[in-house]
Amino acid sequence: MSNDVTRYICFNLGLEEFAIPLLSVKEVIGLPEVTPVPQTPPHFVGIMNLRGSVISIMDLRHKLSIKAVPSDETTVVILDLGGHNIGVVVDKVNSVISISPEKISEKPIVDSAKSTDYITGVFRRENSLVLLLDVARALSVEDRSIIKKQSQVAA
Amino acid sequence: MDDFEKELKLGFLDEAAQAVDDVEQCFLALETNSSDTENLNKIFRLAHNLKGSSKAVGFEEFGAFTHQFESFILKIKNGELKATARSVSLLLRANDHVSKMIAGLKVDLDAKFDSQELLHELVTFTEVGDDAAPSAPAPQEEVAPEPEIVFENFPQAFTAPPTPVAMAPQPPSPPPVTPTAAAAPAGPKAAPRHGSGPVSEESIRVALSKVETLINFVGEMVILQSVMREQATSTESLLLKKTVHQLGKVGKEIQDITLGLRMVPVKPTFQKMQRIVRDTAQALNKEVGIALVGEDTELDKTVLEKINDPLVHLIRNSVDHGIESTEARVARGKNAKGQVELIATHQAGKLVLEVKDDGGGLDTEKLKKKAIEKGILKPEATLTEKEAFNLIFAPGFSTKEQVTDVSGRGVGMDVVRTNILELGGEIQIESELGKGTCFKITLPLSLAIIDAMVLTCSNEKFVMPLNHVFETLQPSQNMVQRNSGLGDILLLRGENLPLFRLGDFFGLKSAKHHGEMIAMVVRTGPRPFAILVDDILGQYQVVIKQLGPELAGMKGVSGSTILGDGKPSLILEPQELLKRKLTSGYTPATTQQPHSGGKAA
Repeated sequence: MSNDVTRYICFNLGLEEFAIPLLSVKEVIGLPEVTPVPQTPPHFVGIMNLRGSVISIMDLRHKLSIKAVPSDETTVVILDLGGHNIGVVVDKVNSVISISPEKISEKPIVDSAKSTDYITGVFRRENSLVLLLDVARALSVEDRSIIKKQSQVAA
Repeated sequence: MDDFEKELKLGFLDEAAQAVDDVEQCFLALETNSSDTENLNKIFRLAHNLKGSSKAVGFEEFGAFTHQFESFILKIKNGELKATARSVSLLLRANDHVSKMIAGLKVDLDAKFDSQELLHELVTFTEVGDDAAPSAPAPQEEVAPEPEIVFENFPQAFTAPPTPVAMAPQPPSPPPVTPTAAAAPAGPKAAPRHGSGPVSEESIRVALSKVETLINFVGEMVILQSVMREQATSTESLLLKKTVHQLGKVGKEIQDITLGLRMVPVKPTFQKMQRIVRDTAQALNKEVGIALVGEDTELDKTVLEKINDPLVHLIRNSVDHGIESTEARVARGKNAKGQVELIATHQAGKLVLEVKDDGGGLDTEKLKKKAIEKGILKPEATLTEKEAFNLIFAPGFSTKEQVTDVSGRGVGMDVVRTNILELGGEIQIESELGKGTCFKITLPLSLAIIDAMVLTCSNEKFVMPLNHVFETLQPSQNMVQRNSGLGDILLLRGENLPLFRLGDFFGLKSAKHHGEMIAMVVRTGPRPFAILVDDILGQYQVVIKQLGPELAGMKGVSGSTILGDGKPSLILEPQELLKRKLTSGYTPATTQQPHSGGKAA
């Protein structure tokens, strides 16, 4: 194994498989009780108590317009996004895999009206495709602007 | 540079910063009492340590400067030079330079500084000083004016109590007592930090982040305990019941102690004010003394940091606008030297800070005239004395005829008040014409814990800080008037208050009928109003938890807390809440999901 190998955690959103660097994951917990926050976007599930700190929970499936598959394996992955923590609801966590950089290929797109910035690359595992996800890009930046925009409208 | 060297250097800078703070107080004391050998010895020791340690860790330039600094101090110590206002000013400037160097080196360990001018001054002052020393009794008088006034109010402000312990030669490092560590849980008066006091309790430095993590976990423990207490009621085991009960007691104790760790004495902040009074008075050519009372009073570290700027502004104002010119004071038969007092006390679980001066006092007529000129006040308005005083908090108000560079652009006082309100505090003015003015600031002891009411709206719990709640009542049908233009109005003892439903701010539908709801009257803002909630569950102390940046833009919510059931809840900020747009109040057509309301808004 070469030194450049990065470990990723793989999870399902609906039927699609995604992966994020293991180092950005703080922990994986079962779906906790959450307190909804009024007037937030639909993918904002609410806030939860993680051993004394209050953490926002987002639903990536909503965010990426993926149909949720009802499952009792629904899980929250707590991520460290540069100093603050955020929870992300996923359908199920599959495995931890090691991927060396040369195995990662560019995302196969020609031209798209939809922004796919949050996908940093793809990885072929046997017969299935795993998408490497940049959660910060998929969530937080845009979210901040959404909430700001709303309170401006509200003001 | 290897890691070890880097660590050494950073460690030195931390200690040096502490020493610079300490020594500044000594310089100020020196000016008042130039013959205090105890104090001189302490200054010399600190300067000597700075020089020695800086050279040892390899800050050559820093060492060179502190060497001259030390030589200068040595001359004063040996009596070759007198501690006059002039020499103390130079010392303070040199000290400022050292503190600038420390700040610079912290950012870049290889930073270079231009110290030539000051070095030259330190050396030449020595020579001039030597010549002038024998025949310089005049400035001596100038700097020791009536110390008894000061001592009457605050015996320790300008004299370091002589204690033989501190005289003993110390290892070459400044006392490693820090504000965090000084907050020993044993009692609020523990461990004096400054001055050459007796050797205090042993202490260690702990990173604030560690203390915060501890507080978080203790909070969580208390919540788990309440869950356990609930479970224990259904058990048969007496031993278990007893143990849970005792665990609860111990837990409470631990919680109190942990929260006390964030509390620090106001002393360092107070002592900085001495310098500000001195510099401001000198710039204005006034004679002003300052007395500090209650320096050991403790306050949450964050509150203390945030109150610093408003306090500086108030102190400057007192010296500039409050205290009259020397001639005016003499003409009024007052002591030529003005007096500013800074007092800290605990009152009913709050910290009270008073900034008092014995100056001219506020002239209500003059204030009103000015406010009318500036268009802040209508000419026909009639004001009580208190209302007239409060005019100085209006944006763009300044009473001084001339704008000075010390204070007086009229931008300050409204900012001072805003800052204090943001901390959950309040400010009041007492003033008597010709006698003086007192600004009284009331602050919460801690930002981490607040008294709050837990309320429900649409089966969700919300938390309202108690300081916003003036009263609560269940309005009867005829107390609420509905108007198509003005909305709901609460008729409360001759007052007509705008009445809002909490749910309407959030797009939540109330679970209760109008007549069963409870109104909370809020008077903390410019206009009183009332908010209708479904129910009030009780009054608790809650620990404030920050929300992530993804929720930072939410208006009307200042943070969150974890309630006894272990679930988080939002803390409301009523003034900001008003800035939210109301959803269409009473048409039940808006059947929105609790957390999808934003989409429709």
